[in-house]
Amino acid sequence: MCIGSPAKGDQPMEMFLMVVCMSLLGLGVTALAFGAATKPVEEETKPLPEQVREPIEVVVPTRFFADTPAPPLSRPRVPIEALLLQIDNHVRLEQAAAESFLESPSVALLHSRTISPLVH
Amino acid sequence: MALGTRIIVPSGTELFGLGAPATRIFVIERGRIRLTLPMQVRGAQEDVLVEERSPGQTVGWSALIPPYRFTLKATAPLDTDVIAFSREDLNRFLAANPETGYAVALNLAAVIGQRLQLFQAMWLREMQRVVELSCA
Repeated sequence: MCIGSPAKGDQPMEMFLMVVCMSLLGLGVTALAFGAATKPVEEETKPLPEQVREPIEVVVPTRFFADTPAPPLSRPRVPIEALLLQIDNHVRLEQAAAESFLESPSVALLHSRTISPLVH
Repeated sequence: MALGTRIIVPSGTELFGLGAPATRIFVIERGRIRLTLPMQVRGAQEDVLVEERSPGQTVGWSALIPPYRFTLKATAPLDTDVIAFSREDLNRFLAANPETGYAVALNLAAVIGQRLQLFQAMWLREMQRVVELSCA
């Protein structure tokens, strides 16, 4: 048996130490990665100093009457007189279209479009 | 025309109302007559135009047909002159003059038939739109 050569029982010990070293190295790398990942989050949650904090501008649509709810975004509400005139106009146009159909009945004339704003 | 009575209907005045007893038929001599029906517009009852009649045309043929009640409201949008014929006078005259009665009956049938066809077409056009909206 040579003096410089490792003893026969030293080989499992060597492997064991290597595994321990690798595990410690892995643990260290993991700890470093964890620290790097959590560091910015901690900074973000820190409250800003008073002099740095700026007021946040909230854009709110201007209203003349703040308590009244905003109307739904649909067609603009026309005055009743204008609406009645539109209805009158619609009836006249529809009557003219129906008369055209009766003059020379055809499917195209029966379903012809008018310029009435009530149907557009 | 000797049977008739000229009536001046000032602008904005009602000639007859919906559901009123129909005792007279009218021929428009000058101006215009709006025939309207009540309709709910934004929660309020409004008179909505159904038909508009001009000089030479007749309004109020409900006076000749049972149950002798007007089915529309008639107003004058501008100063209008009409010739009014009472049902009793007209019936008496037509009974005494059957040839004239026959001509009047044919004209009346034409007026009613034309209105029926007109409204039939208008109704179908509206139904088409309802169908298009419901399928949209």
